[in-house]
Parts: sequence; structure tokens; C-alpha cells
Amino acid sequence: MTQFRVLFQKEWRENVRNYKILWIPLVFILFAILEPVTQYFLPQLLDSLGNLPDGAVIEFPEPSPGEILANIIGQYQFIGLLVLILAYMGAVAGERRSGTATLLYVRPLSYGAYYMSKWVAANLIAVGSVLFGLLAGYYYTALFFGQVEIGSFLQFAGTYCLWIILVVTVILTASAWMPNGGLAAAVSFVLLLFMQLVDGLLGAYWTVSPFKVPSYAAQWLWAGPETGAYWWSVAITVFLIVAIAAFGIWMSKKNAAKVKV
Amino acid sequence: MNVLEAKGLTKQFGAEVAVEDVSFRLEENTATALIGPNGAGKTTILSMLTGLLKQSEGTINQSGQGGIGFLPQYPQFFPWLTALEFVEMAAKISGVEAANVRQQSVRTLEFVGLGPAMKKKCGTFSGGMKQRLGLAQAIVHQPKLLLLDEPVSALDPTGRREILNLLKSLQQDTTILYSTHILNDAEEMTDQLLFLQQGKLVEQGSLKEVRDRYSEPRIQIRFETSQEALRFSALNAWQGTVDRTEVILPVTTQGPTMQMVLERLAAEGLAVSGVERKSATLEEIFLKVAGKE
Amino acid sequence: MSDTTVVLALLPVILIQLVLMIFALVDLIKNPKPNGPKWLWGVIIVVINIIGPILYFVIGRRNY
Repeated sequence: MTQFRVLFQKEWRENVRNYKILWIPLVFILFAILEPVTQYFLPQLLDSLGNLPDGAVIEFPEPSPGEILANIIGQYQFIGLLVLILAYMGAVAGERRSGTATLLYVRPLSYGAYYMSKWVAANLIAVGSVLFGLLAGYYYTALFFGQVEIGSFLQFAGTYCLWIILVVTVILTASAWMPNGGLAAAVSFVLLLFMQLVDGLLGAYWTVSPFKVPSYAAQWLWAGPETGAYWWSVAITVFLIVAIAAFGIWMSKKNAAKVKV
Repeated sequence: MNVLEAKGLTKQFGAEVAVEDVSFRLEENTATALIGPNGAGKTTILSMLTGLLKQSEGTINQSGQGGIGFLPQYPQFFPWLTALEFVEMAAKISGVEAANVRQQSVRTLEFVGLGPAMKKKCGTFSGGMKQRLGLAQAIVHQPKLLLLDEPVSALDPTGRREILNLLKSLQQDTTILYSTHILNDAEEMTDQLLFLQQGKLVEQGSLKEVRDRYSEPRIQIRFETSQEALRFSALNAWQGTVDRTEVILPVTTQGPTMQMVLERLAAEGLAVSGVERKSATLEEIFLKVAGKE
Repeated sequence: MSDTTVVLALLPVILIQLVLMIFALVDLIKNPKPNGPKWLWGVIIVVINIIGPILYFVIGRRNY
């Protein structure tokens, strides 16, 4: 526990002094605000571009508040994930490659504390950014389009945060596993974005999948997901988080010998 | 007492043998120099002793407690941490009691001469300051065994002198193993020499033992003129060589000794500008050991 | 909704972009050795909206 506290302090200082604590939340908040704002101004914008023949009227169906919020996590599923991958791909691999980790690895280091200190710090930033972003989005949506019931919103946000924790775990473990940040990013990209695409294309055949957690999250904004499929997917996601983190700890230890001396 | 004993240490990277069958002992509070050209396997041996690399064969026995301190050749630090923050973190991970961490870290930083810079970020440090900080993190937990990889090779002459003096002051209660390819440094602080070449230990012993084995002591006499040198050489049967105004006499078990030479010179009434007993420098010895292979 | 409310609502969007840009620029000026030419990063931060500062923090900063 002492080692975890010491290492977490180091990780936190890194996140603060490299401004990750500033720019990651700002990006998530910005994209969350942009969604309701552009939706609101889109009709006026198209109107002012105005190469429509006189008298033509386009009717825009006004999106529901739920749709706007669901669109926000649609943005997060690409841009948000990319930001997290870029921010944390070097968490372990970078330290190993630059040799800054050498002076930790030659000590009686607990690799569990080492990995978990990064995991907790990165998750605090990532989950915090998503929550602040979604709250900002919620406020703007309420301002322009109407309010979503707060209970539904919390279920929506909570479920999506579970997915974000899985995302952070995958990125950190890829970083512990791969020899450099670039490859860690590639592995994370394939595991998260590509697999999501595959699940989207072929996933009609099954209902239980960690990749369905974001869409189940969005369904809370309407009727709510089918209970069985939802809870099984949540359970599998939690299990995967634990298993992938355990693999990450093991890889951190195994790859310590590859640190630059 | 042995602080560390390595037996038959071997390390292979795929088909390449980096270290082959290396055995040595480190006695308490002695300094051992691991000497060899770049690529001889010095860093690999040190990495195995720190536990960073697992040896392919052989055993490492470390007796006694107190842990290890390690200084890599090019120590790297998290640039966003201050020197004090880094050393405190190192101390805590090495198990220094929480109550002593601050005091011990500050004292260590002052000892290595970073007292005024300890609140500065590591990222702003020059090469010499990094080397000092590297030394500080290696000794902050007061280890019994200190492993140093080329501790002074990258420094300018002033920095080198200062670090060597620091190391010498640590010698009283620390066992030190350090690698170097600069033999003048090794000559200065050594109880034991380990000559490494292409992964193999080709010679080992104390500085005196190695000197006695390879140094070929000789007496060098400088005359005013070459005629005098030639005349002196002809007068005795010591099989000296004449090099212009100098006569060089090899010292063997049969002699001559310095006293015999001085007596002979006095008896002949020859004027000399200098008489000196010389032995090979470590560098010459090293070349000889290397050539033997 | 009145125009003032709309302007007030849009203010945070512009503010966040400004904060990102200013922090990136201030950091760039203080950075002793960014990953690439300083002036180029300056241009990227100012010209490319949102993405410019992010690129600088991720790639250009090099953790000094």
C-alpha cells in the first residue's frame, strides 16, 4: 500500500504537470457542448448558406434530447477514444524505452502497485473527463432541446463510464505489453475501434458483448436496455477489466528486463 | 566477509553470448573495478547483479541485508519531478522508514552537491547534475552494495574528480563494484580488478597482484650525453637497452636493484640527470592482457 | 430564446478553445526543446482549431 501511494503520487504529478488534467477534460467537454450547439444552429446555418431555390423549405425534424446525448457518446467513441489512446499509450512502454523506469525496476518494486497507480490515475482523468463532458452536454441539451430525466441520465452516464474504464485498462495493458507507445496505440486501436466495428457489423447475432455496453448505455435514454443482456454485458465487462489488468501487471513485470539501461 | 559471490555467470541473447562463465567475489567494503572495452559485457553483468536481467546460467549469492544501489551509465529521470521528489520516491520504494525519508534525502542531495538545485525539475539538469542525482538515488537508502556503470566516463575532468572523491568517501562502509573503460580512474580506487574481454574474465586480482604479474619493473637512467649512456651500458652485464641518452635496465629476480645501479654510477663517476624506477601503467597492463588472448 | 442567451451559451465553446490555445502557447514558449521547430508548433496551435493544441500536448511537448 505504501508503494501504491508513492507511485500514485508520481503518476498524479505527471498528469498535472504535463497538463493532461487540463486538456483531456477540456476536449471531452468541448465535444459534448458542440453536439447540442451545432444541432441547434444547423438549420439556421444551412439557411444562411442559402443556395436553395426561393420558396423551398426544408423541414428539420427536431432531435430529441435523448438523441443529442446519444450522439455525444457517438463522438466519444471515436475522438474520445483516440484522445485517451494518444494520452496513455506511452504510460509503461514510454518509461521503459526512455530508461526512466530503470531506477524504479532495480528497486524492490511491486509491479501490482506500479500498474495500478497508473490505472487509478488514468481512470480518474478519463472517467472525470467523461462525466464533466456529459454533464456539460446534459446542461446544453436541456437549454436548447429539453430535459432528459435525471435518473435515466445517471444510468446512461454510469454505464458509459464502465466502458471507459475498460478502454483505459486496454490502453495501459497494451502499453505494458508492447515495446513502444506506437505499437501500444495500434493494438488499442484494433482492440477497441476495430472490434467495435466488427461487433457493429456482425453483432446482430448476439446480445451479450462488452462492445455493446456503449449502445446499452444510450438505450437508458429511452426505454432502457433488455435487462438480461444488459447485466450480462456489464458482468463480462467487469470480468474483462480485472483479467486485462492482471495481464497488464504480469506484462509489466515480464517486460521489465527490456528497459533501457 | 563476502557481500556478493557470482559463480559461472553466463548470459546469452539468442545465439549471441554476451557474458560467459564469469566468477568473482566482492568482499565487504572493498572497491572492485570491472575493466574492459565497450561491448565487453560490463553493463550486462551489472544488469544481472541488479536483478534486471536473469542470467542464462550460473548463480549470484548476495549475503547480508542492506540492498543494492545502482547507477546506470546514463541515468534517466522523470523530467517533471524535482530532484528532491525523485530521491524521496526512490527512498520510499527502497523501504526507507517514512519518518526518515525527508532528512535522508536532503542529506544525500547535499552530499552529492545538489543542495541548491534540489527543488529544480530533473528535466532542466545538465549531464553532470544528472550523474550526481543518479548517485544520490543510488545511495539514499544506504545500501551495503553499490553498483556503478561507468560512473565518471561522461564527465569533464573537474566533475570526474569530484565524483571520484565522493565515491572514495563512501568506500569505508560500502562495497563498490564499478565498470570503466578509463584505466586511470580504475588505478585510483581499486582493491580488486576484473578484466573483461568479449564476455570473458581474462584476468583478475588485486592491483598489486596484477602489477606484479604484468608490470615488468625497470630502472631508467638518463645521462647528459649519449656517449655516457653507451659507456655505462658497456661497463655492466645487465642487458640494458640504450635509447639515445637513456639506459633502461629490466629488473628481474637476479637484479639489478636501484642500490646496485646507484653504487655503480658513483663508482664510475658518471653524471646523470635522473634515475627512476618505473612500472607499467594499468593501461599498458591492459593492452598486454588483451594481447594475450 | 433571446440572442443574449445564445451568445452566453456559445461563450464556453470559444472560451475552452482559447484556454487550450493559450496553455499550449505558454507551454511552447517555455519549452526548451520541443519535438520539432518552435515556430511550426506555434502555427499549428493557433491555426488548427482544438486539434492543434492537442497535437502539441501529445507529440510536440516531449515532457521536458
